[in-house]
Amino acid sequence: MAMVAEGVGTLQIHRISQPKYIDALRWLSPLSAFERFAVLALHDSDSDVSSIEIQALNRSNPSNLHLQSSWASPARISTLRVSQIPQKPLVAASTYMGSLHFLFTDPVDASLESELSLAEKSFHAGPISGIDLQGTGSECVSVGEDGRVNLVTIGDSKLNYRRVFDSHGLVSYTAAKWASPAEFATGGLGFSLQYWDQRKPGGAVSQFKGNWGRGNMSEIVHSIDIHPSRKHILLAGGSSGTVFAWDLRWQKQPVLLSGIVPGETVVSPSESEVWEVQFDCYMQSATIGNISSGQILPVMMCSEDGILAVIKQGEQPMEILAEPCAINSFDIDKQNPSDLLCSLEWESIVILSRQ
Amino acid sequence: MPGRMSDPSDSLVPFSPDVRDPVVYSLHHDLKAPISRLSISWSKGNCLRVSFFGKKSSNSSAEGSGNSNDQIGGKVVEVKLSSEDGEIDEAQKRRIAYGSVSPFALLQSRKNSMSLLSKMSMGSSTYHVEWWEHVMEYSKDINLLLGSPKPLPSPVIEDPKTVLKAMEKPTCLKAAWELMEIFYADKQSQAWLPESLVDWLADYDNLLSETGTTVYSKLVDLQKELVTLQAVEDNPKYWEGISSALAVGWLEIVVKLLRLHGSYQLDQLGNRETENGLVEAVAVLISKMPRIRTELAVGRLGECYKTKPDFVKAWEKWRGQITKLECSAFWVQCDHRQTREGLKNVLQIMLGNTNSLNTVTSHWIELYISHFLYVRPFTMGLESMYSLAQKCMQLKPTSSTHRLMGLLLGILGENTEVVLAECSRSFGPWMVAHAVELLTAGSKQAEILLHEERYNLGGISIEELHRLVYAQILSSHALTWQIAPIYLTSCTKQGMGLLEILLYKQPIQHNHLLLKIAGIHHWKHGKKGSGIFWLQQAQDEVRLNRIAQQLFDFVGKSISDESFKQWEGLIELLGSEARTVGGLEFLHKYRDFKKSLQQVQDGHITDAARQAVESLILLMKNPSTPQRFWLPLLHDSRTGPGIEAEKRGSLVKLLNWSEHPLLNISQTNLLLNKLQELSMAKLHPDFIEADLPPHALNSVRLALATNLGRAFLEE
Repeated sequence: MAMVAEGVGTLQIHRISQPKYIDALRWLSPLSAFERFAVLALHDSDSDVSSIEIQALNRSNPSNLHLQSSWASPARISTLRVSQIPQKPLVAASTYMGSLHFLFTDPVDASLESELSLAEKSFHAGPISGIDLQGTGSECVSVGEDGRVNLVTIGDSKLNYRRVFDSHGLVSYTAAKWASPAEFATGGLGFSLQYWDQRKPGGAVSQFKGNWGRGNMSEIVHSIDIHPSRKHILLAGGSSGTVFAWDLRWQKQPVLLSGIVPGETVVSPSESEVWEVQFDCYMQSATIGNISSGQILPVMMCSEDGILAVIKQGEQPMEILAEPCAINSFDIDKQNPSDLLCSLEWESIVILSRQ
Repeated sequence: MPGRMSDPSDSLVPFSPDVRDPVVYSLHHDLKAPISRLSISWSKGNCLRVSFFGKKSSNSSAEGSGNSNDQIGGKVVEVKLSSEDGEIDEAQKRRIAYGSVSPFALLQSRKNSMSLLSKMSMGSSTYHVEWWEHVMEYSKDINLLLGSPKPLPSPVIEDPKTVLKAMEKPTCLKAAWELMEIFYADKQSQAWLPESLVDWLADYDNLLSETGTTVYSKLVDLQKELVTLQAVEDNPKYWEGISSALAVGWLEIVVKLLRLHGSYQLDQLGNRETENGLVEAVAVLISKMPRIRTELAVGRLGECYKTKPDFVKAWEKWRGQITKLECSAFWVQCDHRQTREGLKNVLQIMLGNTNSLNTVTSHWIELYISHFLYVRPFTMGLESMYSLAQKCMQLKPTSSTHRLMGLLLGILGENTEVVLAECSRSFGPWMVAHAVELLTAGSKQAEILLHEERYNLGGISIEELHRLVYAQILSSHALTWQIAPIYLTSCTKQGMGLLEILLYKQPIQHNHLLLKIAGIHHWKHGKKGSGIFWLQQAQDEVRLNRIAQQLFDFVGKSISDESFKQWEGLIELLGSEARTVGGLEFLHKYRDFKKSLQQVQDGHITDAARQAVESLILLMKNPSTPQRFWLPLLHDSRTGPGIEAEKRGSLVKLLNWSEHPLLNISQTNLLLNKLQELSMAKLHPDFIEADLPPHALNSVRLALATNLGRAFLEE
């Protein structure tokens, strides 16, 4: 455990080694007051076996993890999502094989209760690169390199899916995120973003293509996020330290928050791949009122060069962690936004608590 | 690997010639036919991939046997080689590898800045931290990685009879590292080497129990019996345990054991007063034992003296007290025989009676330590320590040398090469690569030896060699290869070359070949978008041009309202700039043209028609628009391929625009010239005929001529 002095307060850091590579991780907040849980998608490089583990964290001593339940995955996991309703803790995982799995867990002790899988050939061809669970946990959107956009309806004992769109591989998608019960967004190659509305079938209702790339620089959107209170703003993180927001009301001009772009003066916390972005809901309620609706809310990002940072529009980025290895993913506890979870390239997880 | 690997004397990696008997493992391959070829290659990690190729079955030949159909042609077997070192599993090894990167990198950067500083200021060291302090910090960081002794979960209420706390077993690797630290890095402990060894043995004596009895294993046995014993002092094992623990200096355990003596019990105190007095007197003497060291951890017994004269004075006084107690008249009054004899033996140990020490210790190193404590507390210098070790080994010979003892003897023998060889043989490449830092800090000679460039190593030093070996191991695993560059960049001679090879093997951003492969792979698997993206990254114009032709045909055939949505994203991806898209950039304009044309057909006439014409002119002017597309483009604007018969003639509509002609004279001339060029090209043998009705060229020409006429009238 280490205490690090921070601009805003102190930071409690717990580093916990895992004997396996962590492909993804999420908080799972159940009804229990004493414990909370971390869902880890793991890959054992020695045996080439993938699994999902639910680890219990003691609230008083977070570095004490103990395995609550585990589930063997048929393939390596590409995306992990958790429904945010404590009464109905649901874990969704997509694989590189093209299958989608839903794990229903007990609301109190997070033990596994049942599992539903979708592994049909017609569902996705090849890896599923992004999924997102709708707020109520009843629908899941999935996208892949194959250019398919599918909507899965999660029943109690049955899964149904329908194809929203199929680009037949002409466009590949890498990330997905719900904006409202009817709308969602996707991201893809060439810093492209798409906005979809289920009520308007036949294709995306809006498209954006970032054209600030230079020659042989790679431009892939790795992660997108939408703040529940501002569904018209799409946040995207991707190659070369790039983090930008696209406001549907000002379609022509994206707001660049980080990245190396000729002609733009933005301080980038990182110059390598930004693997995940999320709106950072941890802030004083007073300051949230001060942010005008046109301004982008604070954003957290993690990167290949080991940076976990918070970016506020027009301010110096604030580094939370600087690791000697890549930070591959992170998650902000939605119930307790001061708490963070991140996975490091060197087979370990870090639990952070901002005070 | 650099250099050759021929005979052991000039081999790169020092290896012991005493190879153990080869172990034969049989692999099952289930191939019926005789194996014609065998191929062995490294898979990921420690996996060997063995491919068996059966003899080619000759189906066509007349002699063809009946079962040739169910015959498998070959088989690939993966063989997992587990490491020799069973105490640390692979995941733990990786954890150590990850953790040692930062301390190693920090030490290297300090080394560099230090050498830079000394060059600049030419020795005037005003701000100068001793180098060994940096090495010590490095050593402590590494030591921490190797695990800290964790007490096993114990019952909440501590049993008063617990003298030996149950601890998680430490690893030999940690013990070896600490040994190196004591002798090479920790310059402060140099004056108290014997006491450092006493502490070291206290932590790691249980590791030696694997091969035979030790003081630790004796105490473990005693601990088990203590719980059931009523009068401990009657049991000879109790006194044996006390004497053995005392011999190796575990004073706390000794005192704790003594206080379990029956005479301390309240009901016994009355009639065993003298006996109890003697036990307590011995316990007090033990806890006041003078030690020549700076400090003792909290809870440890003994009194510390930092300087030799102070220590000598206290030592003489202490021994005087022991002798006085030994001659005391109280012994006669002690009725309990075992207590009397046991305590007298304890006093003999404290007085350094070599016979007593010999009987109560088991392993030679325990005897060795007891000599430091009670016979020769002033032993200084490695030479005398080494000769004492040899004497102890003669007294207590062991059938096999424990790897820790091998290392210790190498250190005491002051032979850097032996120490390195022991590290490499017993603890592996990680240990050698990192311990070299301690060795070079240890002495000037070692530094010269390890930094000297050697002809037989291809001009590199021993230090660099071991780093290279370690980097090779790191780069063989998918999870650790990213660490290898840290070690390679610290190798001045061969590091950069190997780093280049390593990076060349990895999929990195600017490796065009790999990007191309990725692009072609995606394209072939129907992911056209990904394919084009990666080929753009690779700036592969040739392939992109070929794709453009395919796409154009495809777009031309299927363009309709529904399928247009699919193309939208891809064309967006292609971008409008003429940078690395090759021939594909015109597709972007074509999309705009199509869009406007569609709008004309939908009835949004005025602006859309103008835009359509502008796009058409742009397309036709653009040199990157391939010639074979000219006619389809022009014809397209005349009759869209996907449009039904009644909508035909939309270019005629476009060109015969009711208000005024859409194309001016120069624009019409441009298009007519293009048509002329096309007619000429038709005569060329390589010309590819577009899939259009035969009268296409003429009808377009007619429409253009009409437009030209109208344009003349207009102007």
